[in-house]
Amino acid sequence: MTGKDAVREPLKSEVNRMDNIDDSEALRNRIRKVSLLLIAVVAFGLPLVMRSPTYLHIVILIYFYAYLTTSWNMVGGFAGVLPLGHAVFIGAGAYTSTVLFLQYGISPWIGMLIGGLIATLIGLLIGLPTFKMRGAYFALATIAFAEGVRVMVENIEFLGPFQLNGPRGLQIPPLDIGFANFMFANKEPYYYIILIMLILVIGLTWFISQSKLGYYLNAGGEEPEAAMALGVNVSRAKLIAMAMSSFLTALAGTFYAQFSMFIHPKSIISLDLSFEIAFIALIGGRGSIAGPILGALLLRPVSDFSRIYFGDVFPGLHLVIFGVVLILVMIYQPRGIQEPLTRIYDRIVDRLVEKYRKGVA
Amino acid sequence: MKILEVSNLTMRFGGLTAVDSLNLSIEQGEILALIGPNGAGKSTAFNCIAGVYAPTDGKIEFNGEVINRKKPWDLCKMGLARTFQIVKPFASKSVLYNVMVGAFATTDKKDEAEERALAVLKTLHFEHRKDSRSGNLTIADRKRLEIARALATRPRLLLLDEVMAGLRPSEVDEMVEVIQLLRSTGVTIFVIEHIMRAIMALSDRIVVIQFGKKIAEGTPKEIASNENVIKAYLGDEYGAA
Amino acid sequence: MLFILEDAINGILMGSIYGLTALGLTIIFGVLKVINFAHGSLLMVGMYVAYWTVTLTGIHPYLALVIVIPAMYLFGYYLQDIVIKPIFKAEKDVREPITVIIVTTGVWYILDNMTLLFFGPQYRSIDDNPLRGKMVEIGEIMISLPKLWGFAAAIITAGAIYYFFQSTRMGRAIRATSLDRDAASLSGINQYKIYNIAFGIGTAVAGIAGVTLVPFYNTFPTVGVLFDIKGFIIVVLGGLGSIPGAIIGGMIIGLIESVGPQFMAATWTEAIVYGLFLVVLFVKPSGLFGVKYDW
Repeated sequence: MTGKDAVREPLKSEVNRMDNIDDSEALRNRIRKVSLLLIAVVAFGLPLVMRSPTYLHIVILIYFYAYLTTSWNMVGGFAGVLPLGHAVFIGAGAYTSTVLFLQYGISPWIGMLIGGLIATLIGLLIGLPTFKMRGAYFALATIAFAEGVRVMVENIEFLGPFQLNGPRGLQIPPLDIGFANFMFANKEPYYYIILIMLILVIGLTWFISQSKLGYYLNAGGEEPEAAMALGVNVSRAKLIAMAMSSFLTALAGTFYAQFSMFIHPKSIISLDLSFEIAFIALIGGRGSIAGPILGALLLRPVSDFSRIYFGDVFPGLHLVIFGVVLILVMIYQPRGIQEPLTRIYDRIVDRLVEKYRKGVA
Repeated sequence: MKILEVSNLTMRFGGLTAVDSLNLSIEQGEILALIGPNGAGKSTAFNCIAGVYAPTDGKIEFNGEVINRKKPWDLCKMGLARTFQIVKPFASKSVLYNVMVGAFATTDKKDEAEERALAVLKTLHFEHRKDSRSGNLTIADRKRLEIARALATRPRLLLLDEVMAGLRPSEVDEMVEVIQLLRSTGVTIFVIEHIMRAIMALSDRIVVIQFGKKIAEGTPKEIASNENVIKAYLGDEYGAA
Repeated sequence: MLFILEDAINGILMGSIYGLTALGLTIIFGVLKVINFAHGSLLMVGMYVAYWTVTLTGIHPYLALVIVIPAMYLFGYYLQDIVIKPIFKAEKDVREPITVIIVTTGVWYILDNMTLLFFGPQYRSIDDNPLRGKMVEIGEIMISLPKLWGFAAAIITAGAIYYFFQSTRMGRAIRATSLDRDAASLSGINQYKIYNIAFGIGTAVAGIAGVTLVPFYNTFPTVGVLFDIKGFIIVVLGGLGSIPGAIIGGMIIGLIESVGPQFMAATWTEAIVYGLFLVVLFVKPSGLFGVKYDW
């Protein structure tokens, strides 16, 4: 009663195709490596060509946002949940390092790490009860926490021995400039610092995506029940991702504090900022590595320009634009704009590979 | 040696007793089928064993260890794997990726996981599909993927939940061969199934339950001629293929 | 002692208005299984509609309900139909419709900032209205009149909604859809129409909340944000999908907010509200009255 050809052997044509694909794979990898190298050269060389501090400032902020969205992506993309209060980690980092520096003279580099640890604790506090529940609860918890912390910081002068200064914020006087104090006279050092941070965070994200944790996060985000049956402790994986994301985001907070020399709750722990990060990552394409970066590269200039040119006449216009773009993207391209862009890239690479193989053959 | 021992398993949902003092055991290496008319409590019993429900009463022992309140991922690590009746592939990912998720249960390294996943796919004659997007597979292939994933976790006991549902007769025959192949690799198998033809061809022993209680147990031949079983199924068409 | 009682009563009254916000939210969640992040913005829109109606016609604020309720109902109905339904359809089989949350967040942003664009950031209030600043004296206790009206509106609305869902044909159809949409559609119910209606009702309730606020609370583009967050906290506290839970949860929050400052700084009171939210999440996520949903 057994069927004929019960289990199908692969056809000869399929085997041939598999061999050809291997060759093209190698070529594709080479092309990808070369492109990345080119991008790196341009990125590192840019300050030598672009001398204007205003433009450097804008690019620094673009990298800053790309860093934030990539860190956000660890939870919002890979873990499949929706954090909408990430600015609280930025605030944690910024305030920790600044207070420690102003009151105790501790180097912001060290303060950065301590801020990261505090942010990690907050992240775990939010994630522990909510990761077992529906995604909406997590989103709510992040908003509630972020707003709660902002309200508190805005209204208290002193938290124990630490001076927070309420709504007036903290200002870092530009004395003792130098690397040890994370303070520089020009923009260039800041540029390289944030660029290196960005590269590290991208590398970390890529590394995770190739690791067991990455596979587990993807599986848990897509089909939690199936993942659990396959040995994945989904909540624990999400918590690990959350811890990493909060830590890394806090580091950016310290960077911002040292870059702009002034922090206050409304700017640094604001819901607007949290939403902007989330929106950019979503529009760019969460869950992918390129998505958040593409999002930042494309949307930040839009935001800046609309604020510069329309800011007075049409306040908040750029946020309306963001909202509309977000909804359109969610309806038509839920995986983000990185999907069509990646397809275009793939098509270009395909054509290059074709040309090369024709030339060789 | 009994790999699974279920003693007096009882599961109550509010006022409804879905499973009532169920006793069954599975010997290492055998294929045991749990059958019964619709609503008999098969899925509930299955889910108790798989760690989805915590039993109201009774004891479930796997390899001698009580597993009553253990979580699915811990059970998987202990060597108890399951498939889902409504298949749940990680649809946006490739077949290989799916199986690798299972393989990671046995290793931390990506290359090893990939190797083991490919080996599993080869065993199931499925490796030609390794790069296909799992969401685009046919239902028969998805069921095969479901088994491949679970197999990659190197289980000692594999629970198959109505794995024949929705398959055409020729596909059912293929699946029977696949499961027999599985057994030859040393895995003990526990199936819930409605398709009689598959049950009769596959099982070493069959347990029949109705209204949550066991009404018969024996070899396929014994069950086919058991009066209680025939009465329970009276009205159902035999051989629902 | 008397002050505390006075604060408590006024707090409970204000809380019932919070409860109204939560009520709209819980209706939308109960039926669509979606948390509408744009709800605060809907409240804000309701307030502006009420504000302009009163300012342009000079009628009593509560009479504006005649315009606000249908306007908001239609607004919510078509918002769901045009913007949210496509996502719903795309995510029909997904266990966690996160994209819908994202979209409602987008709507929140668009509504708040478009209002900012068109009406400017200034705080508006109806100075010349019969309720503003009036107090009712009961013994030695002064009770705010607009809040009392709000309380009445909240109770009446909650009762009406409860009656609607329990006893009317449409209400039962909606409940059926919320319990099992496939089964309901097999009974001839158009599930997407039901969603539109439910969203419309939830939005209309937000409009009613807006009307109760307009006599004594300032109207400005981001007024919704605070109520939005409080609404969520209340809904979690009282249990998602529970009508009494929304109102009672609201009253608890209102109580804490008004009595709290007697014992500690006002900002700590706000922090307590947020803290309470997190505590509820930790301890009993289904809330005081909620049903345990299958996660």
